Amino acid sequence: MSKRIKYFWSNYNFIIIFLGIFIAYLCINGSQTSWTTVTNILLHSAILGTVALGMGMVILTGDIDLSVGSSFVLGGGITIVLFNQVNSIFLTLLCALILGGIFGFINGFLVGKCKMPSFIVTLATMLIYRSVSQYMMNEMGETRYSVDASQSSYQALFNFGNGNLLTISLIAIVFFLIALLLIYVTNSTRFGKRVYALGSNEKAAKLAGVNVIWTRISVFVICGVCTGLAAFLKIAKDTSFDPATSGKNYELYSIAAVVIGGISMSGGRGKIMGIIFGTMSFTLIDKIITALGMNALLNDTVKGVILLVAVGLQMVQKRSRD
Amino acid sequence: MELLKMEQIQKAFFGVKVLEDVSLVVEEGEVHALLGENGAGKSTLMNILSGVYTRDAGTVVFAGKELQNGSIAAAEQAGIAFVHQELNIFNDLKVYENLFLGKEYVNRFGRLDKNRMRKEAEELLMEMGVQMDPEQSADELDTGKKQLLEIAKALHSKAKLIILDEPTTALNKEEIVHLFELIRNLKEKGTTFIFISHKMPEIFQIADRYTVLRNARFIHSGKISETNAEQVTRYMVGETYSNEDLYKNRELGETVLEVKEICGKDFDRVSFELKKGEILGFTGLQGAGCSEVMQALFGYLPITSGTVTFRDQTLPGGIHQAMKHKVGMVAANRKENSVVADMTLLENMYLSEHTISGRKLHIYKQQEQKKYENYHSMLNIKANSSQDLITSLSGGNQQKVILARWLNTNAELLLLDNPTQGIDVGAKEEIYRLILELAQKGITIIVNTLEIPELKKIADRCIVFYHGRIMAQLPHDDLNEEAVMLYATGAVDGQKNKTEGAYV
Repeated sequence: MSKRIKYFWSNYNFIIIFLGIFIAYLCINGSQTSWTTVTNILLHSAILGTVALGMGMVILTGDIDLSVGSSFVLGGGITIVLFNQVNSIFLTLLCALILGGIFGFINGFLVGKCKMPSFIVTLATMLIYRSVSQYMMNEMGETRYSVDASQSSYQALFNFGNGNLLTISLIAIVFFLIALLLIYVTNSTRFGKRVYALGSNEKAAKLAGVNVIWTRISVFVICGVCTGLAAFLKIAKDTSFDPATSGKNYELYSIAAVVIGGISMSGGRGKIMGIIFGTMSFTLIDKIITALGMNALLNDTVKGVILLVAVGLQMVQKRSRD
Repeated sequence: MELLKMEQIQKAFFGVKVLEDVSLVVEEGEVHALLGENGAGKSTLMNILSGVYTRDAGTVVFAGKELQNGSIAAAEQAGIAFVHQELNIFNDLKVYENLFLGKEYVNRFGRLDKNRMRKEAEELLMEMGVQMDPEQSADELDTGKKQLLEIAKALHSKAKLIILDEPTTALNKEEIVHLFELIRNLKEKGTTFIFISHKMPEIFQIADRYTVLRNARFIHSGKISETNAEQVTRYMVGETYSNEDLYKNRELGETVLEVKEICGKDFDRVSFELKKGEILGFTGLQGAGCSEVMQALFGYLPITSGTVTFRDQTLPGGIHQAMKHKVGMVAANRKENSVVADMTLLENMYLSEHTISGRKLHIYKQQEQKKYENYHSMLNIKANSSQDLITSLSGGNQQKVILARWLNTNAELLLLDNPTQGIDVGAKEEIYRLILELAQKGITIIVNTLEIPELKKIADRCIVFYHGRIMAQLPHDDLNEEAVMLYATGAVDGQKNKTEGAYV
C-alpha cells in the first residue's frame, strides 16, 4: 500500500499540489463557491495553459523558450490586423498558427541547427518580438490592437471566445483538446519518445540514430504554434491586445506552470498532463488572492512562494529516489 | 602493524543490505587489493571509510584510533585520501591551484601567496618524480597526468592511506607503468594503499595482500604471493566461474565489408576487409585511433577520403545512412553514449529501430513488447519488467539492452566499442558468448578493446593500431600480449615488414 502511495506521489504529485490549493481556495471562498467558480478556473487557465503546453515540450528536451510572451503579442497583433482586413475567422486562426510556427522555427533553427544556447536565442527574440509589436502599433498611431467590431464575423468570433458548451467555456475545451493531443504525442508516438530521449541524454540519442537537430526544431515549432493558438484564443475572448502589457511575464508564468506540473527543467522527465494541473494551480493562486482581498501587487510574491514550495517538494521526492 | 581495521561493518540502503559483517584489515606500508564484482560492496565500504556514508554498525580503527562515523573531515584529518574513479580535477584551474584548492596559503591581507604555493607544488611533484609544470592549466594534462595530480593532492594532504578506485581504466600501458613505479616508491616511504581494480595482471603486479568481497559479504583475505588469478576470480564470482575456451573456429562467408584507404582527423589510410560472420578485433594504446575508425564507419565522425563498402553498397556517411545500410554501433562509455537514463528498458530498446523504419507515427506497445521478450530470452537479460527504468539494471544487463537495441535494427555489421567496460567478470563472460553466438548467426562484428585476453577469447583476427595507422593484422593463433604490444607501441611496423616477410 505504502509503495503505491509512493508511486502515486512521485508520478502525480502535481495533482496533490493542485488539490491542496483547490481545497484552500474552497475554504477561503466558503459559501460563495458555485459551479461557475469551478468552470472559471478552467476558463482562466486556458490561454496560459496553451502556452505552457508548448513550453512543456521545449523543456522536455532540456531547452527553454523565453520568447513565448512576446511572440504571443506580436502574433496576436498581426492576426488582429489581418482579421480587420479579411473578416474571416478561419484565415485568422490559420494566420495565428502559422505566425507562431514561424517564430518558433526561428528559435528552433538557431538553437538546433546553429547550436546557440536556447536561453540566449529566445532572450534575444523575446526582446525583438515585443519591440516590433510595439513599434508597429506606434506606426499605426494607436495604443491597442483591437478587433473591428463592425466586421460581419466579429460576433461569431466573440461568441466562440465567450461561449460555453455544457457550461464549460469553449476555449477551455480547446485547451483540453490540445493537451490530450500532446499527451498522446508524448506517450505513444515515436516523435514523443525522441523528445524524451533528447532531453534525457542528447549524445546517446544522437548515437541511437535520433535526428537531434530536427527534433529540436520541431519542439520549438510546436511551442510557437501553441503560442499562436493561445493568441487566437485571447483575440476571441478579449478582442484586443495591448502590445506593452499583454502576454507580459507569460514566459515566466508558463515555465512556472510546467515546473509545478512536475516536469524536470533539465529535460527528459515529466508528464504533459502535469501542465494542466500546474496551470490550474497557478490560476487558483490569483483567485485566492482576490478572494482574500489582498493587494494585487502581492500576487507575484505568493506565486513565487508557491513555485518554491512546489520545486522543494519535488526535490524531496528526487532525493528519496536517489 | 595494522594501520586500518574495519570490523563487522553493516550498511543498508532502504532495507537492502549492501554490507553484511564485512571486515577489512590493512597493514601499514602495503598495497592492499580490494576485489569483487560490481555491486559486491567495495565502493560502499570505501565510502564508509572515507566518511561519505555513515555505517549502520561496526567499528573502524585507523592508526590506533576509532574513526568518527560519517565524517569526511574526520577521515581526511586522520590521513585517509580517496582518489575516485571519476577524477575531481578542475580543468579551468592550473596545476598548483588544483593542488591547493580549499587550502590556499594567504598573506596577512587575505591575498593569495602564489609564489609559496607554486614553489611547494614544484617540490612535491619533483619528489614524486612527476614531470609537470605547476603553472600548466589542468585541461592540458592527459588523463594519466591528471591521475598523478590526484595522487599528488592526496600526498599533499599528508595522507597515510590512499584509496585508488580503478585508477588504471583510463590510462595507457606507459602511464600504468609510471603509476606503479610511483606507488612502489611511495610504499617504500611508508604510504599505504588500497587498490581497487578488475584487472588481474595488475593486481598481481602491484598488490601485497588482497581481500575479496562478494554479495555484500567478506569472502577471503590473503597474500597475493600465495594465490593465483584463477583462484581469486573464483572467490570473486563464486562457483559459477569457468575459464573454458569459448573460441571456436567458424566457417566464414563471403567478403561483405571493404574499407579502402579511409582518412580522417585521427586516422590515416586505413584499409581492411571483413567476411560475413567474422569477428575482427581492433586494438591499440589509448588514442591510437581504433575508436575513431569505428565511429567513422558508423558515420559519426567524418571521413575525408577513401571509401567504405558494405554489402556492395558504398556508405555515404552520416549515422542515419549507416543505420539504413544495416550498421549498428554499441558506443564506448555506456552511461554517456548509450543509456537514456530516464527511459524504460523497452523504450531504450526500440529507440533506434524507430528512426529507420518508415514514417509510422504511433507506437504499437504490444508488438514492441513481443520483440522485447524475444531479446529478453535470447540475451538472457535479467530484469523484472520491460517497464523498469534502464538504470535499475546492472552494467552488464544495461549493455545487453543496448545490444538488443541494435539487433532490433537488423544490423548486420555490429561495431562494439569497448563492450565490456564496467561490467563484472561473470557478465563479461556472457557478453563474449553472445558475441560468438551472433557471429555464428552471420552477423559481422568488430570489437574494439584494449584488453588482449578479451580478444583472444572472441576475435578471428585482430588489427593493431598505432597513431591512427594499421600496424599489423594478426590471425587468432598469433594473438598474444607481446606481439600486440610490439606493434601497438610502434616498435615494429607489420605493414612495412610484410613485403620483406619478416617478424610476426
